[in-house]
Amino acid sequence: MISGPKRTLRALGILAGLLLLTACGAREVVVKGNFPKPLMDPLPITLGVVYSDAFAQHEIFDEAAGRAETDWLVKTGDAQVEFWTTLFGGMFEEVVRISDHDSLHARESEIDAVIIPYVADLQYTIPLHTNVKVYEIWMKYRFRLVPLDAVHDHENGDLTIDSTEQLAEWTLSAYGKTPTAFLQSDEEAVNLAAVVALRDAGANFATSFTRVPGVAAWMAGDNEAAENDTEAFESE
Amino acid sequence: MTPRPSKVSDRSCDRENFRWYHGASCTARGVLSLLGAALTIVLQGCVNATVDEMTFMEPTEGIGDASVVIMGRRHAPDYETEFDFIECIGDHIRRGDASITVLHELEFINMMYPWFEPRTAPLRTDDIDKLLTQQRVADRFSEIKLEYMIWIDGSTVETNSSGSMTCGVGPGGAGCFGFGTWGNASDYEATIWDFTDEIEVGRISANTSGQSYMPAVVVPIPIIAPVQGTACDSLGDQLLKYLSAKL
Repeated sequence: MISGPKRTLRALGILAGLLLLTACGAREVVVKGNFPKPLMDPLPITLGVVYSDAFAQHEIFDEAAGRAETDWLVKTGDAQVEFWTTLFGGMFEEVVRISDHDSLHARESEIDAVIIPYVADLQYTIPLHTNVKVYEIWMKYRFRLVPLDAVHDHENGDLTIDSTEQLAEWTLSAYGKTPTAFLQSDEEAVNLAAVVALRDAGANFATSFTRVPGVAAWMAGDNEAAENDTEAFESE
Repeated sequence: MTPRPSKVSDRSCDRENFRWYHGASCTARGVLSLLGAALTIVLQGCVNATVDEMTFMEPTEGIGDASVVIMGRRHAPDYETEFDFIECIGDHIRRGDASITVLHELEFINMMYPWFEPRTAPLRTDDIDKLLTQQRVADRFSEIKLEYMIWIDGSTVETNSSGSMTCGVGPGGAGCFGFGTWGNASDYEATIWDFTDEIEVGRISANTSGQSYMPAVVVPIPIIAPVQGTACDSLGDQLLKYLSAKL
């Protein structure tokens, strides 16, 4: 039987131990947000979309540089898929998600082109890193627009993209920041900065898509010029 | 079209209404009122406020059933206009004249996505035409009957801080001892766009600054200067005067 003060001391000891363990563990952010559908006149295109596993499960792990820091794990995959699906759905007349043999062949006669987004880079900063009261996320995307013939399915269900056939390839960057706020945790602030960065990526994509040289040539019906467009376009 | 320039300078310790307590006698109410007023004056730092205004084409009959949206500028790399400041001005106008429809900033940005993100938001009235080439955007503007778009640019920053405070906990209790002080400054400018005529019809700026203090002898007593709140009230008052037919 443990007496009252001893029980309190033991409880305090356990609490202190738990706090220490918490401080040592990685801080994890699973990015979540509400993403609005874009208000645009949809382009008359039926677009296939392939989200690679690397994209759909995208995350970054940042190992602590010193004892004062903690490891960070930022998972953006689910939010990326949700966000881009919503954006493409508002930008194009019809969007078909291609994830396997069935979805590849179900509407192959209708699909005009297939887009494949990649997260090329993601960096973040928190006030601990910079001594500035701002949380920031910077992302760099790479997009490939290919004809449907370039997407191949395999017996194991995997899809591969033929790198020799493509209509356009371009990169775009996105930036999100959020200031420190009273009663806001680091995790909430990083999540908010990621949501702002995703929205910025969408705004950049929506306003620059038809200006990408390869895309413009393809939309004008000049497929040969589009396929020869090897110069990478970078949208700031 | 006559411009209405004005400059208002104000140095005041902010006042707050003191709420009467039901059931208290008249004398008790009087004492409570005096105490409340004294506390309010003692516990609030002083704020300097300067407001400049230059407006044209005032809607003398009010804006009828049209709507207004107030938005913050957030494209600068080193600061962004606070969402709660925009909310504060919107609330100030709604309280002053309930007939004015002030759209909620975030709802507006979401319903117009992606055209009012920091990257894509129009910076000049000339950009409105480009926006309206998108049929769905034009339809949405007609639907919400947007008459005025008000852009607020600026922020509140801490200008200085000094002092130190030590707090301790012991078996007999807890307490703090020391003194801290810090200054804040707000600098905001409101630009009013007449959305129908696609022209700028006014600029109002508000600069406020104040010093807050926190002495602590056992208990810390914050004496906060409502710098941002005063800037909100100053800009809100001028915008309300411009938009409302009642004032």
